[in-house]
Amino acid sequence: MFCENCGSKLSGPVNFCTGCGARVRTLAPAPDPQMPASTQPPPVAYQASAAPVHVPVTNYAGRGIPVAESHPAGKCAWCGVTFDASQQNCPKCGAATAMPSRPSNSGWAKLPGRKDMARLNFGKSVCQIEGLYVPVADMKLAPEDSVYFTHNVLLWKDPPVNISAMPLKGAWKRLMGGLPLIMTQAQGPGHIAFSHDGPGELIALPLQPGQSIDVREHLFLAATGNIHYDWFQTNIWFQSRRGNDTETHYPLGQVMDRFGSAQAPGLLLLHAAGNVFVRELAPGQTILVKPTALVFKDPSVQMMLHFEQPAALFNVWNTNQTYLWLRLAGPGRIAVQSVFDRIEGESNITGGSRNPIGGSNAGAQIVGSLLEGLFDR
Amino acid sequence: MTTPSMPAGEALERIQCQWCQSMNTKTALACQACGAPLDIRNLVSESGWREAPRIRDMTEIHFGSSTCQVEGEIVPAAEINLGAGDSIFFEHHVMLWKEEQVRLSVMPLAGGMKRVFGGMPFLITVATGPGRIAFSRDASGELVVLPLHPGMELDVREHAFLLSSHHIDYSFVRVKGLTNILFGGQGMYMDRFITTGAPGLLILHGYGNVFERRLAPGESIMVEPGAFLYKDSAVQMEVELQRLGTGLFGGTNINLARMTGPGRVGIQSMYVHHHTE
Repeated sequence: MFCENCGSKLSGPVNFCTGCGARVRTLAPAPDPQMPASTQPPPVAYQASAAPVHVPVTNYAGRGIPVAESHPAGKCAWCGVTFDASQQNCPKCGAATAMPSRPSNSGWAKLPGRKDMARLNFGKSVCQIEGLYVPVADMKLAPEDSVYFTHNVLLWKDPPVNISAMPLKGAWKRLMGGLPLIMTQAQGPGHIAFSHDGPGELIALPLQPGQSIDVREHLFLAATGNIHYDWFQTNIWFQSRRGNDTETHYPLGQVMDRFGSAQAPGLLLLHAAGNVFVRELAPGQTILVKPTALVFKDPSVQMMLHFEQPAALFNVWNTNQTYLWLRLAGPGRIAVQSVFDRIEGESNITGGSRNPIGGSNAGAQIVGSLLEGLFDR
Repeated sequence: MTTPSMPAGEALERIQCQWCQSMNTKTALACQACGAPLDIRNLVSESGWREAPRIRDMTEIHFGSSTCQVEGEIVPAAEINLGAGDSIFFEHHVMLWKEEQVRLSVMPLAGGMKRVFGGMPFLITVATGPGRIAFSRDASGELVVLPLHPGMELDVREHAFLLSSHHIDYSFVRVKGLTNILFGGQGMYMDRFITTGAPGLLILHGYGNVFERRLAPGESIMVEPGAFLYKDSAVQMEVELQRLGTGLFGGTNINLARMTGPGRVGIQSMYVHHHTE
């Protein structure tokens, strides 16, 4: 017998699952009138081994991508590490092992489900992710381990945990780009916990040696001390003009964070709003996403802005609607979040004074490109 | 609450709620006093924080001769069916709807002017049964149901309390110390709830997820002041300045509240300084 909620094997007649604590329904139950329908655990595709489910299978071999097929021998579908098959959560990224992630028909895979209180290991330390709504990363730092984090994410700490400033190079450019000037560093031993305001997902990205990843600004929560932090100019910008005012906008921010791991594997924690979806782009494959929805991408993924003006036979209201897209070109992995900000300066459907382009006062123009070297590093 | 008649010869089995310690019949799925699901294991992190139970949609909670039903999961609403003679009190801006026969009155409070200057709600409104009245706050989060047993004293961050039954005495305490007021990020006053003879029900609204931890005497922990939600009044709160110096820019400071036991401390995981006004 298996738990309907988490898929753990149950031995003997038990009332509660030893793995997740869910109530176990006996085999011939009288329908319980007291139990409202919402409390019944939904049937999970765990029994899918008996009845194969048709899912588009994509081969993401070795890229650390959620795959559609089930994962025998305790291999994490999300980050690819192998682990003891009895564990419910991947010890590196926290993905629930009993819930195979299935990409949507268009190829996006939702960030894998995670049990509340999932444990991750990094170095000699442990990180527990608590809460499903505004999750908290609760770290137990070993004496030799350290983490660094951005401002306004520290939730609580043990009094003995030392926090200090981690100076960053290029402070002036960061100041101009609106990025935090300092990162704060915490050294073990002790407990320290982080959270970010806003309902969403806490993304645990284990970085293998040599692997690096680009993250849109302000999504970073914390990283282990052995992760290298750098940033680069996005050079993604556009201009809007209203009257005589020309404004330059950076829909991705002026700089983008790049995290990498040199020698030892590390753990990177991001916070994204809403749900997070990931997909792999084949070489040359492109997709258009909202710039503010981008969460992270592999460094091999190219970015450029794309403007689209829906064609119309005649324009009654004399407004040009321009849609602003970020074109991402593979190969590599990309992630988007389902809650994203409105882009300042993008044309407004209702037109009027908020419309930066078009309108009767003509002269409006929009310029965008991937100009290398304009903002020299 | 109705107790099902017990067949003769059957052992008296009870389930104790892990959140509020109330006893429940063995057939109960949710605690009748606080709504916590009884069939879910306690979620306690290794560092000792216990996650506040996520109340299932449409769970009923009993207090006095009234019931409260918690509806919705993203921004939960508490719908109260007040029995005759029962009453509840609440701050403004949290009432969602009410039936016409529910009478509203104003709770007389001492120190009204001080409260105005402290930015606290000047009026605490009392709703008296019978009738139905519902409450919600305008942000995603959790309802934290805290049944207060006699002899408890709880301090709550201002504007965090949603409603309380009339069995509970309400007062407010000034946050001690100038640093606490200026840098604590939670204003000048805390609500204080004291039970007298009878147990009462207190419902708070926490942003995001809510966690609780019990501190041993003398044990202390540093908490982001904006994350503080409630504490037993025995817990000491002291805001401390942490300097983060860098050579070049002179560094920056962060404030952390040192909470020292004994007692419970509750925190919320979303801690922007939301204002209700």
